[in-house]
Amino acid sequence: MPRRTTGRDGKAWALAPRWRKVGRDAWQHKPRTALVVLAIAIGILGAGTVLNTWSLLRRVTHGEYLASNPASATLRADSLDAALLARIQALPAVRDVQARRTVFGSARAQVGWRTAMLFAYDDFQAIRIGVVKPEAGAWPPPDGALVVEASSVEFSGTAIGDSLMVQLPDGAPRVFPVAGIARDVGLAPGWMEHVVYFFATPATLTQLGAPSSFDELQIVVANRSLDRDSVRRIAADVGDLVESTGREVTQVDVPVPGRHIHASQIDSLLFTQGAFGVLALLASGILVVNLIAAMLSGQVREIGVMKALGATSAQIAGMYLCLALLLGLVASAIALPVAALLGRMYAEFTADLLNFDIAGFTIPTPVILLQLAVGVLLPVAAAAIPVARGCRISVSEALRDFGIRAAAGGGNGRLLRCERLLPRPLLLSLRNAFRRRQRLALTLATLAMGGAVYIGALDLRASIRGSVDLHFDAQRFDMVLRFARTWPADSLEAAVASVPGVRQAEAWGAAPAALAESSGTWSNTFPVSAPPAGSVMFAPTFRSGRWPGAEDGNALVVNRRLLQDEPSLALGREVTLLIGGRTSRWKVIGVVDTGPATAAYTCRETLARVTSEGVVDRAMVASAVGGSAALLELVQRLRADLEGRGFIVKSSTLMQENRRVMEDHMLMVAGFLGVMGQLMIVVGGLGLASSMSLAVLERTREIGVLRAIGATHRAIVAMVQIEGLVIAVLGWAIALPLSIPMSAVLGVAFGRIMLPVQVTIFPELAAILQWLGVALIVSFAACAWPAFRATRITTAAALAYE
Amino acid sequence: MNEPLIVLREVTKTFRTAAGGFTALADLNLRIGAREFVVVVGASGSGKSTLLHLLAGIDRPTRGEVQVCGTALHELPEHAVTAWRGRAVGIVFQFFQLLPTLTALENVMLPMDFCATWPLRERRDRALDLLERIGVADQADKLPSTLSGGQQQRVAVARALANAPGLLLADEPTGNLDSHSSSALLELFSTLVDAGQTVVMVTHERDAKRYASRTLVLADGRLEGAHA
Repeated sequence: MPRRTTGRDGKAWALAPRWRKVGRDAWQHKPRTALVVLAIAIGILGAGTVLNTWSLLRRVTHGEYLASNPASATLRADSLDAALLARIQALPAVRDVQARRTVFGSARAQVGWRTAMLFAYDDFQAIRIGVVKPEAGAWPPPDGALVVEASSVEFSGTAIGDSLMVQLPDGAPRVFPVAGIARDVGLAPGWMEHVVYFFATPATLTQLGAPSSFDELQIVVANRSLDRDSVRRIAADVGDLVESTGREVTQVDVPVPGRHIHASQIDSLLFTQGAFGVLALLASGILVVNLIAAMLSGQVREIGVMKALGATSAQIAGMYLCLALLLGLVASAIALPVAALLGRMYAEFTADLLNFDIAGFTIPTPVILLQLAVGVLLPVAAAAIPVARGCRISVSEALRDFGIRAAAGGGNGRLLRCERLLPRPLLLSLRNAFRRRQRLALTLATLAMGGAVYIGALDLRASIRGSVDLHFDAQRFDMVLRFARTWPADSLEAAVASVPGVRQAEAWGAAPAALAESSGTWSNTFPVSAPPAGSVMFAPTFRSGRWPGAEDGNALVVNRRLLQDEPSLALGREVTLLIGGRTSRWKVIGVVDTGPATAAYTCRETLARVTSEGVVDRAMVASAVGGSAALLELVQRLRADLEGRGFIVKSSTLMQENRRVMEDHMLMVAGFLGVMGQLMIVVGGLGLASSMSLAVLERTREIGVLRAIGATHRAIVAMVQIEGLVIAVLGWAIALPLSIPMSAVLGVAFGRIMLPVQVTIFPELAAILQWLGVALIVSFAACAWPAFRATRITTAAALAYE
Repeated sequence: MNEPLIVLREVTKTFRTAAGGFTALADLNLRIGAREFVVVVGASGSGKSTLLHLLAGIDRPTRGEVQVCGTALHELPEHAVTAWRGRAVGIVFQFFQLLPTLTALENVMLPMDFCATWPLRERRDRALDLLERIGVADQADKLPSTLSGGQQQRVAVARALANAPGLLLADEPTGNLDSHSSSALLELFSTLVDAGQTVVMVTHERDAKRYASRTLVLADGRLEGAHA
């Protein structure tokens, strides 16, 4: 550690000379020192932002979810009363039970009619399972008012004080004020499910025409450590108890114990972000290696002198490692607060996407300390190799003047063959680019890594757009109308198609289904949609298999998201489904890509046969008009016209709006990855700038000679810029093959997080060209200062330079 | 001759170069006593600097024995040679080789810092005393770049003496000085020898012989003769 020494008077304390040398060397080469600090700071910023986001999200998603005391299982049944709850509570395997009413309806928000889901509790202050956290305004919801769930606020365009028209399937529309906002972390985000969640009192539901009794049981099992199958068995026992009282259990949902509904997505998101943070750190580490190596190569003679004066290798290594440590400290002091701020901002955004609120959560102290440790130790670790190499040099080697080293320019055999074709100055630039091969390799590594991430992010963006296109192209209709009651398909289609402005209408069947698990329990429910045979409005992209024909019997098509959750629904498998309270055998004959939510499909006729219901409650409408305003007008016209004929519309959804919401959220994630790519390109650019600055410094004498033999300012600038350009183009080229695995990893990770996307095998041409443009701009910017410095070198000074 | 401070026996030093082996010193035998002022002269490439490097432990002989201040350098491992050199030998270079970011005073304190030869509290005083003795105390707080060549070389001599070494080695110390500064430096060395210091100096300076107690002439790596 630095020691102090006294002055002649014994009072004036000062650092020992070698530590003064360390400080003054850093100060004397301010631009280079600033560059090292900047490189480390960017690395810490990238990795720190991700780490802070990760720690906050992990704390929030895990902590807040468990703190809400989530239900181990949820069962739907009719007319639940206190006596039944007491009997369930008495079961030894059940720790707690709670009832609520969940009602589907529609709400007319700022952005139009939306599917609404209303939750009513007997006493909101006494919610014990799936605790709801008030965020703003009134809580509990007053009678005759609604509290909107936080994840639906932006999606519905609702604010406290707004008045919303709400209608339940069998009731008249009523207008209620929005009195507050609350968050239920156990709900899948409203924006993702396209549902507006509300909390309302039983009295409010009664005003809407809903029964006042409860229809949903939430239970918490006594042993929280049980696995999902065990919980399913307990839920089945509870279901048997409920059914023994004459009630019918229509749905049982058992989430993976202790894991949020989107836990795997959160994990994938955090993993992807973490990988980028590590890459950013790695890139800045490489830059630090380059800079410290160059700094040491400029100090070889001084190292020799110090050794001649008795300094040991350890003492010299200590000096330079201490300098690296100091620079790390400065960089950490700059980067850590910014990383904390950015990490919090990004965590807030991501948490909100996943329906969590990070308010009240802080970045854990060990995470801050870890960043500080990395910030301080990264430069030391990066400097270790060049320092060890620099300190190994013998005194005689350090003091001897070798002139131009033999290794400096040799070995460009292939280049030499092209010599005759190239002008001399260009040839000089090309050869210069390859003189310091280790430095070149490290510079290329940082540039190429940044480029690979950048292209990967652009590819992912294109893949997302492609997948969203596929998703919506498959749905060849402009809106979905859901009706308050069921109708025969033919009459519904005819009624809708008769409204002016409608090009075509199809009535689709729909039913929730559950899969019989090998454990003897039922899976969580998933929706089965049933377009008519020969539908022209549903044309999904098949990953495998095909659409059912008339001869297929009970044939099912599943989407990839459902297949991820239930691998037993693989192509060709025969499964048992529970639909409408009846079990039936189905064969999976196709796998399609249709968005981020679980879904299965069959023909309307098949579903009608299985459920013995020839009626449907929804119609898909293709408009004869285009444009948002015309579509909104058509929705109004449809509602008014159909309601006039007795077809009460429960909710309407515009596909255009769905697409906007989906794209906005998904592209934001790709946007984050793009920012990480840009950050890494900045690191790569700094690497190139430092490399070129050092090249100019090392070749001061050569530049002097060039000037002495007539090289103009322009020629010198061109020489430096072309050298930088050669490196940038090489970095660009190396990034192309590197981007292929990068795009694949991103595609797979994103597919797990949000929406299955087509993994890019070859980089997008637009991405390749965009990256080339970026590489060239980075090259010119990075070489501007070194080129300017080169023109400032006078012949006399250059020839005297040692 | 006094008790020998330096003993070289059958010393050969061969360098490997791209053009093949180059013998800088061949079968050299030499004894130098304490408090001698030995000047080594010879044409360029005759092996003068190589001899100095062997004496400083900077280079190792390809063959033969090098004993300096009672230590057999050819037997010592590298790290031991470094520790030995810091305490036993002071070196003055042709290009001064002062560290540019340290003041004259700090340059002189540096060897004491590395070798911890003097207590912390005494290093500054000792450095100032040395600068005073060499005649550049008034330049103590200046950076080398603000000093003249002669002043820089004096500071370099003070630095070489910082750890009170038994042997002062000077490699063409007057090579970058004007005649006045050269004479002054040689006078200084002479004074140091009178005070008990042993000095071995490699030089092209003709006048140096006037101050030397002995002159060695090297030609093609061999000692031609010794003159008192």
